[in-house]
Amino acid sequence: MLFTEVRGLPVVSPAEAGPLGTVTSLTVDIASRAVSHVRLRGSRLRRETVLPWDAVHAVGPGAVRVRSTAAPDTLPPRHDLLGRRVLTEAGAEHGTVLDVAFDPEAGRLLAVFTTRGEVSADRLLGLGDHALVVRAG
Amino acid sequence: MSELMTARSLTTRPVVTLGGDAVAHVKDTVCDAAASRITGFTLTGRGLLSGPMKEGLPWSAVHALGHDAVMIRDRRGLVAAAAMMVHQQTLRARMLGARMVTETGTEIGTVLDVVVAGGTGGWVVGFRVAASRGFLPGPTRHRRRVYVPRGDKLLVAGRAFVLPGDAVRHVADDLPGFTSLVGGVPGYWKGSLP
Repeated sequence: MLFTEVRGLPVVSPAEAGPLGTVTSLTVDIASRAVSHVRLRGSRLRRETVLPWDAVHAVGPGAVRVRSTAAPDTLPPRHDLLGRRVLTEAGAEHGTVLDVAFDPEAGRLLAVFTTRGEVSADRLLGLGDHALVVRAG
Repeated sequence: MSELMTARSLTTRPVVTLGGDAVAHVKDTVCDAAASRITGFTLTGRGLLSGPMKEGLPWSAVHALGHDAVMIRDRRGLVAAAAMMVHQQTLRARMLGARMVTETGTEIGTVLDVVVAGGTGGWVVGFRVAASRGFLPGPTRHRRRVYVPRGDKLLVAGRAFVLPGDAVRHVADDLPGFTSLVGGVPGYWKGSLP
């Protein structure tokens, strides 16, 4: 599944009747190469809320179903992967991130699609405020 | 082959950790006394109004010098700039404007910039020189700018660089030409320029 497919999906919880909101972005943990949090927003004027990936029961089709709506203890840094600049380990730019493929069951990242080609997930080194750093390959 | 770049073009290049965070911008390059290697960088803060940083980046903390960023392992590699500069001076202070002459005393010109190899070596491979009229006759209005390979026999005497006469037999007009020139000249940097 792709990050851009998940963005905008309604988030539904078994405890509540209506949807909690729509997904604004997925936060990734580069060290474990997996999706760590889901960010969602109730409406355009409401604040963003964060749910840990463990709370997600299933992604798709048409909605993200969550088990619980408990917020995580520690908020992850807000580094959106989509649109981020990509730098190789050698310090050369490698385009920007267009999309990310991930496994919706486990949340594992599979590949990052950049404006200059595909980067497999095992080449990711770090994600910070400036860039996504990838191993030269 | 690692890319060649001029040291002045390094100014304002971001310093980025392998974790992807930008910690500073390069302010100036610091070379060793023999002008053979980069020993570090002085830094400016990232904001619009932030001035020079008290911390410097020693070359040992650099992961790779790249076309778009200076990659470092992590923030802890930064050291106090004063400690880094004990025996060294920045490029701007010491090298730019230095006279370059041959062993026989022929004037070559004045140093405008230093050409360094990117990657992990940090070698100085040459200089951009405003050629003196005796060395390269040019248009009357301004002196020709040429790239001179450093060679391995450069002597630094105060504010003058002394090169053997045969080292300046071949010079290049631009950086791509210089890249192929030093690629074909045997020298100590061979290891870092495969």
